[in-house]
Amino acid sequence: MLYRRVLFDKISGFWMVTTLVTILLLPMIIGTGLYIKALPLFEHQSVTSLASSSIWAPNSGKFGFWPFIAGSLYVTVLSFLFAAPICLLSAIYLTQFSSTKLIQVMHPVIDVLAGLPSVIYGVWGILIVVPFTSKIAAPFFNATSSGYSIFAGGLVLAIMCIPYMLNMLIEVFNTVPVGLKEASLSLGATFWESIKHVVIRKSYPGIISAFGLGIAKAFGETIAVMMVVGNQVRITRNPFDSGYPLPALIANNYGEMLSIPMYDSALMFAALLLLVIIMAINFIFRLFIYKTREQ
Amino acid sequence: MKRNNLIYFVVFALILSSCASSKKKEQTISISGAFALYPLVIKWSEEYQKEHPEVQFNITGGGAGKGMADALAGTIDLGMFSREIAQEEKNKGVWWVGLTIDAVVPTISNQNPNLEQLKIHGLTRDEFKTIFIGGTITDWNQIVKEIQPNKLTVYTRSDACGAAETWAKYLGAKQENIKGIGIFGDPGLTEAVVKDPSGIAFNNTAFAFDIKTGQKRAGVDVVPIDINNNDVIDTEEDFYQSFESVLKAIAEGVYPSPPARELYFVAKGKPTKQATLDFIKWTLTDGQKYITEAGYVPINQEKINQYLEKLN
Repeated sequence: MLYRRVLFDKISGFWMVTTLVTILLLPMIIGTGLYIKALPLFEHQSVTSLASSSIWAPNSGKFGFWPFIAGSLYVTVLSFLFAAPICLLSAIYLTQFSSTKLIQVMHPVIDVLAGLPSVIYGVWGILIVVPFTSKIAAPFFNATSSGYSIFAGGLVLAIMCIPYMLNMLIEVFNTVPVGLKEASLSLGATFWESIKHVVIRKSYPGIISAFGLGIAKAFGETIAVMMVVGNQVRITRNPFDSGYPLPALIANNYGEMLSIPMYDSALMFAALLLLVIIMAINFIFRLFIYKTREQ
Repeated sequence: MKRNNLIYFVVFALILSSCASSKKKEQTISISGAFALYPLVIKWSEEYQKEHPEVQFNITGGGAGKGMADALAGTIDLGMFSREIAQEEKNKGVWWVGLTIDAVVPTISNQNPNLEQLKIHGLTRDEFKTIFIGGTITDWNQIVKEIQPNKLTVYTRSDACGAAETWAKYLGAKQENIKGIGIFGDPGLTEAVVKDPSGIAFNNTAFAFDIKTGQKRAGVDVVPIDINNNDVIDTEEDFYQSFESVLKAIAEGVYPSPPARELYFVAKGKPTKQATLDFIKWTLTDGQKYITEAGYVPINQEKINQYLEKLN
């Protein structure tokens, strides 16, 4: 009987370790696969010149990824600027001020928003956000725009990221012990002061990791952004011009992969870049959290 | 004993179901690719199913590039393809048959303030080239001197597709050289140009005209091509009133080629599935009678015979 139990323990233990190792290995397997596929490209150009050059002419064998990296960063930063304050403030309101009934209503709403397929956000973006950008937002800033722009992409992305960030922030604020807030109130702090100095401070690492995950998600989002961002290869400072993020490059062109030499390597390199940048974002935010916890 | 019976039953059911599904798979033809061919293939599949109800179709759009990539990856039976087949693709062992002809036409919004002027003068190939490839034109009066200053916005396709490649070929370039705001898919491009009175784009004929009514789609208008470069649209160059007249111009070779082009089915090597071969044979014989009805131009009998030979 004992023998049997030991055996079962061994098997289940082994099984769990295997699954864990698979998960740990997965990013590495994906990364190596992409790297091997992208190798032919490195024989032509160095990695730094690939990432920093801005000439994109696949038919003449010139692959410069900087416009795409810049486009991705621009859209992501813009969406973060739109989404972060909204998420932070509404999370504070929902957890600290509102009635429990409102939270009960809000949770399903957030879940529905998070569960909508991104193509719906894309279509909605074309119907609402693009005309809004060209008719209202751009004239407001004295700019002209067709609407298919980095601004529209950032707006759609912000709306897509809000449910994720909001959900995490609510969880984070809920974990702050009530006792801490009560102690601060009993010392004579106002309600807002206790939130500012106790609740937000206590959940600082949580807030940063929520933002980090939101940014990583925004950076990799493909179809919805692709539908509204205009997909033009160029570097621009004007948010009402169109841009071309990395994921859209892959999604738009994988069909052309076979007719142009080196193109498949270039697209694999784009995927590798995406992977590396998202890993870097995660790493930086991890570091942030680690540092703030140490203090 | 009872347990044994159950096992037998399960095994039997499994065998039966695997038979059924493999038979079903043999009778299912999956097709993806060019938006240009999509309406015709839908029409063909409906008509074909009336005669062969056992055959199932699974048809999706996605652009010519997707059709070629999927076909070469072997995930579909037939790819719809709408541009010339590149040498690299031929080297990868593509097998193809031509089916019909259609064209890419330059489109603008019918709210464009210069619509009347543009219809009188038309635009030459060189003028289209400055607009789409040059990338420096931001105003309509940089192109046509007589008209009032009005913003010009170029739209193109963002996905790898036959329409853009064919239009670029007409202008002596490649899809990547077309400067403009990239929109995903043919329907999206029509939508963008309808909404923007300053916009100019290009569409497959089937998306510029409504097949059912034979008129231009709501909000869309076509910029006539000044074929003989005399700065005036002559009566023989003026054939954009209805779908029928455009198709006639394509068939007679008045409309230049490219942007008129042949449309293909592609596959990775000659298809082995009998249902697929039968369907292709049908499209080249009985199916040809639906071509004009669906808004395309038939290819000549000589070419059809050549393609039929490839099937044997």
